[in-house]
Formats: sequence, C-alpha cells, structure tokens
Amino acid sequence: MDIEIDEPEFIAPLKTTSNKRRYVLPIDDAHPFDLDALGSGAGRTVVDRLIYLIPTCPTIATQAFQLAVGRTTQMRDTTLYQNLLYAYEQAVAVAGTGNPLPAWNELTPFDQSWVDETNRKNSEEKIKLEVELKTYTSNMIKESIRMAHRDLAEFHRSMGDYQTALKHYAKLREYCATSQHVLDMCLSVLELLLEQRNYAHIPTYVFKAEPALDATTNSLRNSNQGPTATQAPLGKEKIAAEREKVQSKLDLATALSHLGQGAYEKAAGSFLKIGPIKALGDWAKKVVAPSDIAIYGTLCALASYPRSAIKSHVLNNASFSVYIEQEPYVREVVEAYMASKFKTVLDILERNSTRHMVDIHLSSHVQNLVHLIRSRALVLYFQPFASIKLESMSLAFGWTPEYLEQQIVGLIQAGEIQARVDKQNRILQAKRTDQRAALFARAMKAGSEMQATNRKLLLRMRLQQADLVIKAPTKPQQSSLGHSGEIHQSDPYR
Amino acid sequence: MAPAGSSSSGSEAISLEHLVQYLATTGQIQEDVNQTLRTFGTKDTREVILASKLPSGQDPLELLNAQNNTLGYLYILSARMSFPNTPPPSLPLIEAFCKDFNPEHARFAPDRVTALAKAMVQAAGENLKLILEPLRDLATRYPPTPSHLTTLHPIFLTACVTTRHFATALPILSSPIFNIDTSLSELSYNDNLIYHYAGGVAFGALKRWREAEEFLEICVTAPGQIPAAIQLEALKKLTLVQLILYGKATAPPKYTNPTLIRILKNTPYHTLAKAYPQTISSLTATISRDIDIFKAEQNLGLVQQVIQRAPRWLIRRLTLTYLTLGLGDIAKEVGIENEEEVRAVVVSMVESEDINASISVDGTVTFATSTAQFSKAEIDKAVAQAQAQSQLLQELERTMNSSKEYLVKAIKHKDDAWGPDEDVMFNTHPGGSSWTDENLYS
Repeated sequence: MDIEIDEPEFIAPLKTTSNKRRYVLPIDDAHPFDLDALGSGAGRTVVDRLIYLIPTCPTIATQAFQLAVGRTTQMRDTTLYQNLLYAYEQAVAVAGTGNPLPAWNELTPFDQSWVDETNRKNSEEKIKLEVELKTYTSNMIKESIRMAHRDLAEFHRSMGDYQTALKHYAKLREYCATSQHVLDMCLSVLELLLEQRNYAHIPTYVFKAEPALDATTNSLRNSNQGPTATQAPLGKEKIAAEREKVQSKLDLATALSHLGQGAYEKAAGSFLKIGPIKALGDWAKKVVAPSDIAIYGTLCALASYPRSAIKSHVLNNASFSVYIEQEPYVREVVEAYMASKFKTVLDILERNSTRHMVDIHLSSHVQNLVHLIRSRALVLYFQPFASIKLESMSLAFGWTPEYLEQQIVGLIQAGEIQARVDKQNRILQAKRTDQRAALFARAMKAGSEMQATNRKLLLRMRLQQADLVIKAPTKPQQSSLGHSGEIHQSDPYR
Repeated sequence: MAPAGSSSSGSEAISLEHLVQYLATTGQIQEDVNQTLRTFGTKDTREVILASKLPSGQDPLELLNAQNNTLGYLYILSARMSFPNTPPPSLPLIEAFCKDFNPEHARFAPDRVTALAKAMVQAAGENLKLILEPLRDLATRYPPTPSHLTTLHPIFLTACVTTRHFATALPILSSPIFNIDTSLSELSYNDNLIYHYAGGVAFGALKRWREAEEFLEICVTAPGQIPAAIQLEALKKLTLVQLILYGKATAPPKYTNPTLIRILKNTPYHTLAKAYPQTISSLTATISRDIDIFKAEQNLGLVQQVIQRAPRWLIRRLTLTYLTLGLGDIAKEVGIENEEEVRAVVVSMVESEDINASISVDGTVTFATSTAQFSKAEIDKAVAQAQAQSQLLQELERTMNSSKEYLVKAIKHKDDAWGPDEDVMFNTHPGGSSWTDENLYS
C-alpha cells in the first residue's frame, strides 16, 4: 500500500478522493434513497460504497455508519475500519453545527480489542500461508503452489492490500495447468480490479480470459464426446450455461471498464449484452447489484444511442428488461424519453440524482451522462420545428429561458442544432440555406482556389525543372537566412 | 569602321578609344559584341580599361547611346560601379540607362545586369530610396514577360522593403511568377525564396492579406531537400496572416516540408493560432509570456493586428448562432466594454461586407443570412478565366509531351513493358489532361 510517512497510514489513500467531493447531497422526499437496498449486497464492496456515501450524505450518515461498522467487524481488514471512522468524521464536519451529528464514539465505542484481535489473527494467518507456500515451493508440487498463491492472494485482498494480491495472482499464472485455472485466475483478478476500481487494467484480463474460456468450453465438449467419459456427462445446455456464466461476468467487467473510462457508447453495448442475472452468480451481490446494471446500461444508452437503437436494444431486449424490472424508475425514464416527454425524463433523473451520485462506479460520470442526455433531448425536441419560441421550449423542459438559451447556444456552436437564436424576439429558428446561391458561392470559391493552386504548382514545377531546389549549405555555418537579415532590420507592420 | 573594330578585338593591347569606337557603331550582331567585351585584353586589364576614361578626358559613355549600344553601356557602367578606385557614375546616368536600355540586347549579358543592380544597391548605401525607380525599371524591362523571375526581382523587392516603399513594388508584385529561365539570369533558390518572402512582407504591410498569404505560401512550400530558415520565418508570418484573413490558421499544402510544420508547433505562433479567436484581453494574456519573442522576430506589429481583429471573428461567429442580438449582448460576448465601440466594429464589418447585418435604433443587430450573390458578368469572367487557365495547362502539357526528355522516357518505358498509350506522340485528346487534375486536386 502506498503510504506517506508523515500521515497516519489509513488516511493517506482516502484523502485525495474525498477532498474533491465536499458537497452535500440531499436525501428527502424529492430525492429518495434506499439504504437497505445498498445494504443487501455482500462483501467488501458494500463497505466501500458506504464509506463513499457517508461524507456526502449527512442525513443518513448515522445509519450508514452503523451498518458499515457491523459489516466491517465481520471482516478482517482493520484499515477499512479506520477509513470508516475517518469518513464518518468528515460527515460530522460537513454537517457542521447547524444540524450536528452524534460523534462516532457515541454510536459505537471504538472496538480496540477487535482491532488487536484481528490484527493478531491476520498476522498468524499470513505466516501460516507463507510457510505453506514455502513448503510447497521446496517440494515443487505445482498444483499446491498454485493454491498457496491463490490463498495468499485472497488473503491480501481481504486485507485490502491489492498490490500484493495482484502480485500473487501474477505468480500464480505460471502454475496454471489447465485453461480452467487460467480462467479462474482471470476472474479473480477482474473481481479484484473492479473492487479497486482500476478500470484501465480490466480489458487486459478480459482479453486473457476469452481464449481461456474458449479452450475450457472446447475441452468440456470434447470430454463429453469421448467414449470413455465415465463421469456424469455434462449436457450441452450445461456447457452453454457454464459458458454464459463466465461470459456475462466478462461482459460486466468490460462494461464497467468502458464506463469508468468514459466510453459511454461502448459501455452501453457491453451492459446490454450481459446475460441473465443468475449467470452473474455472486457477482450480483459482491460486485454490482442488478439494479445498478440497469441504471448504468440505461443511462449510457440514453446518452449515446439514437432513438431507434434504444428501442431495439433496450426496450426490446429480453434479458436486459429483467434488470430494468429491478429498478422501476429506469423503465419510466426510457419510456418518457421514447415518448419525447423530456421534462419527465429530466425530473426522474433529478429525483434520483443522489442515488446516482453516491454510486462508486457512476458518480464521476453522472454529470457527463446527464449533460449528454439533455443535449440529445434538446436536439430531438427541436427537430420537427422550423421555428419555436424559447419560452415554450423552456416549459417543455422545465428550465428557465436563460438556462435553455445557454444550452441551445452551446449546441449550435457544437454544430448539433442547425438553427439560430433570435435573441430579441426570443425565438429559435431553423437555418434555411439557399442551395442555389450556396452552390454558386462554392463553385466560385473552388474556381479561384484552383487557379491559385495551379499557379503555385506551375511555379513549383518550373523551379524543380530548373533545379532551384533548396539544398543543404556546403559550409555548415552558412545559413540561408542570411539574405533576409536586411529585411529584418525594421518591423514593417508598425 | 566596322571591320577595323572587329579586327581590333583580337589584338592584345586594345585601348578604350578603339573599343568605344567599335561599340558606338550600330547594327552589329549582339552576340559578337558580347563576346568581344567578355574576352578582349587580359583578365586583369579588362575591367580597368572599361572603368577608365578616354585619353581626351572625355567620358566614354557620352559617346555611347543607352538604347542603341546597350551592351557597351552596360559593361562600362557595371565595371565602373564595381571597380573600387573610380568615381561611380552619376545617378541621372544610371536612371537614364535603366529607362532606355534595350532589353533584348541586355539579355546577352545577364551577369552584368545582376552585377549592375547589386552595385547600385551597394553604392546607394543609406540613400537606397533614390535608386528604387531605376531598379524598378530594370526589373520591369529586363524579363521578357512579367511572369519570369530574375535575379533583379529579389534585389528590387529587398530594397523596397528595407526602405518601406511597399507600394513601389506593386507593379512588379501584381503579376504572379510562373516562369523560370536560368539562361535569363543566374537564379538560385534563394532568389525565389527572398522574392516571395519580401513580396509577402510588402503585401502584408499594405494590408493586402490575400496576396500576402499567397506569396508567403510560395516561399514556405518552395521545393527543397531541407527547410531553409527563411521558410520558417515565412511560415510564422503566414500563420499570422491567415489568422487575420480567415480567423484561423489553415493547414499548409501537403507538399510543405514536414519539418517546418513540426518546428512551428513549438513556437508561440502555434499557441496563438490555437487560442484564436478569443476576447482581446484573454489573447493578450496568452501572448504576454512570448511578447519578447514576437518583438525579437519583428512580428509584434502583425501579432497586434491579429489580436485587434479578434472581435471581428467573434462577431462573425455569433452570426452563425444568432439571428438578432443587442449591442450589449455582443459587447459581452466579445469582451468589449463599450457599446459604441462594438457599434463601430459592427458598422465597419458591414461596410467591408464581412457580415450582412443591420442595426436598429434600439441597438438590436439583425444578422441576415449572408449568401453571396453573383452577377452574370462576374460569372462570365470567372468562366473565361477558367478557360484561359485550362488552355494554358493544355499548352503546357503539349510542350511537355513533345519534350525530348519525356519522349525518351516514354519510349524506354514502352520497350520495357506495355507502357503508356499510343497517344504519347500525338497527345491531343482530352483524356490526356487527367494527370494534371489528379495531381492538383488530390
């Protein structure tokens, strides 16, 4: 772990991220938030998400804190516990004196004995695992070495030490005997990278996993066909299901990686490809909840897909609609968008903004996505009009006319809307071009440009024919600039 | 008299008297005269004799006529001017020669013409502007057509730019160069570079940006194995001129030396071009760090003009977004505080037909869609120009097709393989012009 020496070690990694987001997100009737839904997940992710949430949402910080403490003490990562305390302190600071939050030690006393006990257990465990690894290495038992590395990697991961965990996974690779082993390794690494939110790294392991997946499937199929298959033969469907399980996980990882790197269109494509929920297995709890997948996929699609693609890929997508069922408002958004009720779209997005903002994967992209969706909505809305009053347009979007105008001007300048604003009469008017005149202008311009080009090329050709080509001076000091020196004596433009 | 003259040319000890007598006769073959002048006497004495006076103390030039005895006059003049110990000829004498000399005769001795022009510049010293007139005559009358480049062009242009008499150069600059004949004068690549660079500078100073752009571009794109320093200077100026002309820097032609473009990327000129157009205050902030570089490279004046023009480009951009705008709104957008100032800019833009707009009493500016309208006469003129151009190209192609070099190559190629079509020999059919098209527009 990267530790700055003069900082208490548990603060260092968190400080950089949390300083950026010192705003408070409202949670009230207009912006509902379901903490229980978040708590229904499993594993470290839940605590990570809660820590992410606590400083920005003082209103529910107390409950979230208690929930998180409960979860943390079931795990073995003591630094996480410290992080949690720090996050809560931040929430207390943000909430300020106006609406004070109880100090953390009023809620749950700091469990020093738990920390000590866990630390002791951890170091014992670590030593035990390392000794095991050493023994296996000296005995050269390949399979055991692989498992020892795997155990160590998992141990470090549970401690939150991702670097060491990755190192063990990398070493483990040498001892993989079958493609199934490689696949397992890749999936574990992907899970780890997702937990770490290291989006740039994900594609590497997805690419590694894909051939391994093919190989595994093939070998399963072959062993099936083999006449000596004594074990219960795996049915074709079973193989397909196995494959789908892995493929879905890979799709999810790819999608999150694209989202994390801001490639919304690719992300949408990958999200929409993900297979049924049960194929995701424990990832649905440990990595991303199905309802989150619905939100990510839909927002990305709305922000990057044309309307027809949204209809065919989102609404008519049997497997993705299962995800959408998990989060009813997502369907409302899509339907309102398709019906051109943009005000409703924006209202729903605003209503759920808190939900989006506290999401660890989505939060840094919410603003971009919403901006893109709004721009598309504006373009779509104006399409059928030749001219429209800004007033009525602002009503349709529920914005002030000034804000609307600002948005529209931005879109015109970006070339998204072919129109001009009549600022005095507050009208947006579609551009009409006189094609005939434009053609004439273009032809005349092309003509004169061509003539100038001809002239210049002719001279160039003549120069080359006469061999008046710039050559390197025979003496290196002799600069060809020398001749223009006299011109330079005075600036002729002043 | 004539036979005596020609026989004397062979003799060793030739006197100026004889020479002048020989020269003063008219009607000889000019090639012989040139040969005589070039070879009489010994190498060391030749210039001394030419630069000296007659035994009678008379000036030999008085016996000669600039128009009829051009070559003799030219030799004596140039010898006298470049010979250190003789008093230079008087300015009126030079002026008269430049006005009256016979260009066809003078073309037999291109080196003397060049030497004369160079010596004139040298002799003039500080009073360079006195010789602009004769230099212009020289440069106008010497080449067979105005489209020929000679060594006189860069000398004259440099003199004009140095003395800041830009308008004097216009008659020469107004006809584009597209003929190069090295037998006409001993051209070097530098002559071409300097002529077009100085021409670009002159047009820029006269605010004729379109022409300035063309001249600088010719300098920047001159063929070469390595880029010359003057080309980089030209490219810097070209970037600034384009900002003034189009509000953005356009990509130079494909045949520009890539090294030049790469070097430019690391200069403040590129930074300015990328930031352009913005409000005056933010542009000033952008260049503030590099102002010394602009000053040192003598481009600060141009840079300031670029910046002063920024509001016009900003307003121009507004016309694409807005139909109507209040003067106050425009002022806010372009970063000018004073509404009256904005009004002045808008009015001047309407006057120069940059935009098509009207200002109403309450200060509302209405931008009309500005589509250029062309009269029939304009279109006819353009068509005629295009026809002339295509005729020129066709002519050129025929010359090329009948040139020895091309034929040799084509026939060799034909032997090797299938080769080009039969029409190599008699290329008159229209398809033949296709190669020019491809080259020019690709």
